[in-house]
Amino acid sequence: MAMTGLSIAIILILAAVQLQADYQDLLYSKNNRDSVANFLVINKIITHQNLGATGLTEVEIKDLQNQAYVESVGLLTPSRFKASIQSASDRFPFYTDIAFESVPKEFIDITAKDWTWNENAMFIPIIAPNMFLDFYNFQFSFSQNLPQLTQQVVKMIVFKVNLYGPNGMVTFNGRVVGFSDRISSLLVPEEFMQWGNTVFGKSQHMKPSRVIIKTRDAGNPQLTAYLKEKNLVTDADKTRFSKYRRVVDMVVSISGITGIILFAFALLVFTLFIQLTVASSREDIRLLVTLGTSPSQLKRFLLSRFLPAILLIIFLSFCVVGMIQFFSAKKLSGQAIFINKLPATTTILAGLLIMLIVWMVTGFSINKCIKDPLKVQ
Amino acid sequence: MMTILLDHIIPAPLKDRFSQNDSDIWNKMVEFTQGEYIKIKAPSGTGKTTLVHILYQIRHDYEGRILINNQSVADIRDDALALLRQMQVGIIFQDLRLFPQLTARENIELKRVMQKPIYESSVIHEMAEELGIARILDQKAGLCSYGEQQRIAIIRSLMQPFEWLVMDEPFSHLDIENTQKAAALIARECQERQAGFIITDLDEDSHFPYSRQLHL
Repeated sequence: MAMTGLSIAIILILAAVQLQADYQDLLYSKNNRDSVANFLVINKIITHQNLGATGLTEVEIKDLQNQAYVESVGLLTPSRFKASIQSASDRFPFYTDIAFESVPKEFIDITAKDWTWNENAMFIPIIAPNMFLDFYNFQFSFSQNLPQLTQQVVKMIVFKVNLYGPNGMVTFNGRVVGFSDRISSLLVPEEFMQWGNTVFGKSQHMKPSRVIIKTRDAGNPQLTAYLKEKNLVTDADKTRFSKYRRVVDMVVSISGITGIILFAFALLVFTLFIQLTVASSREDIRLLVTLGTSPSQLKRFLLSRFLPAILLIIFLSFCVVGMIQFFSAKKLSGQAIFINKLPATTTILAGLLIMLIVWMVTGFSINKCIKDPLKVQ
Repeated sequence: MMTILLDHIIPAPLKDRFSQNDSDIWNKMVEFTQGEYIKIKAPSGTGKTTLVHILYQIRHDYEGRILINNQSVADIRDDALALLRQMQVGIIFQDLRLFPQLTARENIELKRVMQKPIYESSVIHEMAEELGIARILDQKAGLCSYGEQQRIAIIRSLMQPFEWLVMDEPFSHLDIENTQKAAALIARECQERQAGFIITDLDEDSHFPYSRQLHL
């Protein structure tokens, strides 16, 4: 009875630990990782109260940076000057007012080799959001009777970029050098942005309104909770998994807690079982002590009677969990979900920890039991 | 050399019953030097078994002190006491104290292997042969007669090293012939170890060349 309870409890605990390990594995292993979801652009929720004051303070940014799940934070710098782009030739005329944003290099998901700028360069590289091109190709081109454009074609088009400052207009050549899914604005190199804001900017010290963060896990419920608490918002699509994550977390913890409670009860029953066994041979133990058996000899003897069964139980439970893991891995790989075929290190450690606890409890209750006959003669 | 000193021992149950000057042991200072053959003679009810139990430290209800090599036995801890019983003091209880569910051989073997064995297990058979109980060695001790059980207990006590052998009426269930055989075996074993013994009995006897005879 005690042994059955102990087996079930140990299997439950080990399974919970293994489940958690697999779950972490699924979230963070390279096989299952989605690179887009790991960058989030964050800004304040715009309400009637904070209109025009959506800047993020240094303290707020620092706090964000200090969160465990945030790997790095990059500031998105908006252009503070008026700008427009227009076609370089009249054959394909277009003109539009425009604004740019810049972001530190490591947050950009494409590597264009000419993604730099200096004051002598008359050419500005630009990264455009993919959705701009989609918008053009699937809506705008139809309504204006214009041809659809591929990314390659767009990258070949050189256009004029006009910047308007207090001392008049300056014109550069510009070209789209890449498309990004990550940030939905027209990006220019940081060097250009800095120069432009200094020379043409209307106001000098402006707090950044948007930041981009790199995180290991966009679905982390803690992150969602943090954003909510601070009145911040990001692409909800990328964080929606946090809801499911919470449910799975709860299921895993429930199975773990059930296992631990069961384990405690099983240990209790097991302790009583030891006490009963020792009590039933109380007279024999007393005689053994009288004849000169030392308490440590007695303890060794009793441990040798109980421990093998326990070790066997732990080993078998571990094997059961290992088998479940193996067959799950086999079955899940058919659905393109890859988990380790072998039990996780944490599961092995949990098994060892259980072994230690059971060993200690057994030793303790044996100690307690044999103390009694030693004293009463 | 293990010396036992009894420093004015008065057992609690006898406290009100014995008259002070009658006894050679109770409430006296008595010293036993290793190698001595001590005979303690006393009629029933004067506390022979009590003395044996006090000496062997399974009774603690007494006044006075027992010193072994000048160390008070009251200070000896469980593990050290076990070591003393394994290596220095052998015992034959009056009530024998065998495991009835184990065979005679198992009872003896248990004591043989309790510490580092000093004898091969074949010695059990030799001694049993000598005392005439070889044929019941594989019988459960509980099914043996008192005489047989007493001889099992004697052989058991000889399976360990000792400096003192404490015997509480060890021949009470044996006839004269068997008593002589057992006494001869005990004397030989004590000599081999250069050990002394303390034996209690009801009557005078000449089983051993006693160095001292005390009245309780």
